[in-house]
Amino acid sequence: MFSYTKRLQYPINIKRKDLAMAKYLVTQYGGSNGEMAAALRYLNQRYTMPDNRGKALLTDIGTEELGHVEMLATMIYQLTKDATPEEMKQAGLGSNFAEHGKSLYPTDANGVPFTVAYFASTGDPLADLSEDMAAEQKARAVYENLIDLTNDPDVIAPLLWLRQREIVHYARFKELFEMYEKEFKNGQNQKM
Amino acid sequence: MFNQNYVYPFLNNYANSNTNMNLLNQQDLYRNSTMPSLFTPAVGLDNGNMFSNLYEPYKNYKPANIPANNEREAMMRELARMAFAAHELNLYLDLHPNDASMITLFNDYREKANQLMREYDQKFGPLTISSNSLNQTPFMWEKDVWPWEVKPNV
Repeated sequence: MFSYTKRLQYPINIKRKDLAMAKYLVTQYGGSNGEMAAALRYLNQRYTMPDNRGKALLTDIGTEELGHVEMLATMIYQLTKDATPEEMKQAGLGSNFAEHGKSLYPTDANGVPFTVAYFASTGDPLADLSEDMAAEQKARAVYENLIDLTNDPDVIAPLLWLRQREIVHYARFKELFEMYEKEFKNGQNQKM
Repeated sequence: MFNQNYVYPFLNNYANSNTNMNLLNQQDLYRNSTMPSLFTPAVGLDNGNMFSNLYEPYKNYKPANIPANNEREAMMRELARMAFAAHELNLYLDLHPNDASMITLFNDYREKANQLMREYDQKFGPLTISSNSLNQTPFMWEKDVWPWEVKPNV
């Protein structure tokens, strides 16, 4: 089961309202390379990992990604909480306001709602881990795009931090992929 | 040179307490280690990465050194550092479950994080629903600001 801890993994305190940035950032909340897709991807793939190394790593990284979903939501909430409907309208968030008010709703930067079609779960550990490695690289690239779109240090700090997490997760997935690939090729894990 | 920003896992139980230990010995011990060198929890949290061999900066951006404006933030920051360090070693140990010295270091950070969580709880309210401080009225779960709120500067 999961239980909640009432703190963020990394501190976020954004003081300046920025609706345009909120509109871009939402893609890492509910877009194809976002944290919600990451969490659901790993937490669905973990059941068919061939041994406890894979089950542990996908559980632990998937759980961390749930914490990153909360970090993205926090950033979007803080960037938009003081906005008026008129300001939302001017920032191109009028239709978003009409449907959701000021609440959080997972979409990509173009307003397309989140879908589980963003990730795969094949039951093949090498295929799934290849996807996980690609997902971490794509998320790193999007974080770099997002950093390039702002000059607010309160926003850049958590984006740099989240980007670094993609690098660590990629390295761990790659390590596990190489372990499985070697063991699979050596015929030691034929039931894999 | 022995770098204060790094933790040398084999030395963790000695490095801080024994200032007489000479630097040559410390380096020799590190050189014999097969483990990657780790950042300290404070540097690791700022970087978002405990493993110096995996750390990749973006352009010329430097990790933020976010100030703790009050006691609450300072306690929360120290907790975040220890919990982050333990989590990073957790991910490493998932793939290397027989690395005894990394398990020792993991337990050091884990125990510090648990202790800091209890201390924070005593002063500012519970962070988990299993806290002992929930045995009073009013229900303490609602005390303290929620994580997504902009923090009052007091």
